[in-house]
Amino acid sequence: MPKRGCLGFSVPVVVGVLLVFLVLFLVSLISGALGNSLFGDLGLPSWLSVPQPALKLPAEVVFHLLGFPITNSIITAWLSIIVLVGICYAVTHRLKLIPTRLQSMLEAALGWLLNFCQEVAGEKNGRRFFPVVATIFLFVITNAWLSLLPGFGSIFVTNTEGEAVHLLKGANTDINLPLALALISFIFVEYWGIRSLGGLRYLRKFVNVSQFFRSVGQLFRGRLRAGISGLFMGIIDIFVGFLEALSELVRIISFTFRLFGNMTAGEMLLLLAIFLIPWVLALPFYGLELLVGLVQALIFGGLTLVFATIAASAHEAEAA
Amino acid sequence: MDAEVVKLMAAGLCMGLGAIGPGIGIGILGLGAMNALGRNPEARGPIMTNMILAIAFAEAIAIYALVVAVVLIFVA
Repeated sequence: MPKRGCLGFSVPVVVGVLLVFLVLFLVSLISGALGNSLFGDLGLPSWLSVPQPALKLPAEVVFHLLGFPITNSIITAWLSIIVLVGICYAVTHRLKLIPTRLQSMLEAALGWLLNFCQEVAGEKNGRRFFPVVATIFLFVITNAWLSLLPGFGSIFVTNTEGEAVHLLKGANTDINLPLALALISFIFVEYWGIRSLGGLRYLRKFVNVSQFFRSVGQLFRGRLRAGISGLFMGIIDIFVGFLEALSELVRIISFTFRLFGNMTAGEMLLLLAIFLIPWVLALPFYGLELLVGLVQALIFGGLTLVFATIAASAHEAEAA
Repeated sequence: MDAEVVKLMAAGLCMGLGAIGPGIGIGILGLGAMNALGRNPEARGPIMTNMILAIAFAEAIAIYALVVAVVLIFVA
């Protein structure tokens, strides 16, 4: 086997790439904020400097549509929807038995997701939970990865009030979208629980007064010792049921802040890295953002799946 | 000590202290996963899946601290 230099390329190519990288590094070191504080103002052209990152927490309104304010994160969410629906339509409107490349990619992704659902939730429940969980996963991951493309955070337009606002902003960084997804996940988990166990049996997990009333009955029938101990167990049961109901509601908040916090922190990190050493420092953070986007989508969908599995399984308290 | 200074200090303390617990927690999770993987390398799939899930739970606490810090700096 003839020797191919290093990394599969010939040696001049590798040396050339390293030289270009070094030049970029030096230029960005001098022109970025780090260089400004080390070397002072060197009078470089203005297109080499990066403005200080300003985080606008409530997303800015770009225009109004039928009376609703359309923020830049809504525009990005529409973009994700267009991308997802476009890919799915392009694949499914001409399904072939021997799949094309795009069709086999989509089949691999959906097959992996279905396998994941069925591993965690079992055969039948996995297939039942699959649509919502897969939608949440694909939507979150498309939002997260699209926001890494150039154009997000650099294109300015003037909105209806005349200020210069960003045109595109990562959809997961607006707190309304994680909140909406968390609410949908909560509604579906409760719905599946009620469908699987029957309404009254499911709600009895949270309002667990059976032991309490049984011990009151024992007291009236004269069995004092069993009655009193059963009474205490009944009170503990009611308290535990109340705590479980509370934890279901707190899940909404925890889902929201987990996704929002991760995505906003990633965006701030990228903006800061680009501000300090413009072209070079952001590279490892882009890799981190790819990983974080994937993991957060997996966590959101996976936790919805796990909670649905717990809700839909028969949850008998220990016999008294 | 005017309000600006206290806000910035509070934001720094909030994020710093809030990251201690999750850091230790994630380390303990990693330890458990490595032990389990060492005993039974064939169960790699379920071990890794459950580890990632549990790490996300622990990480969420640090994210709450981060959100409070960000709110202190930018909103309050």
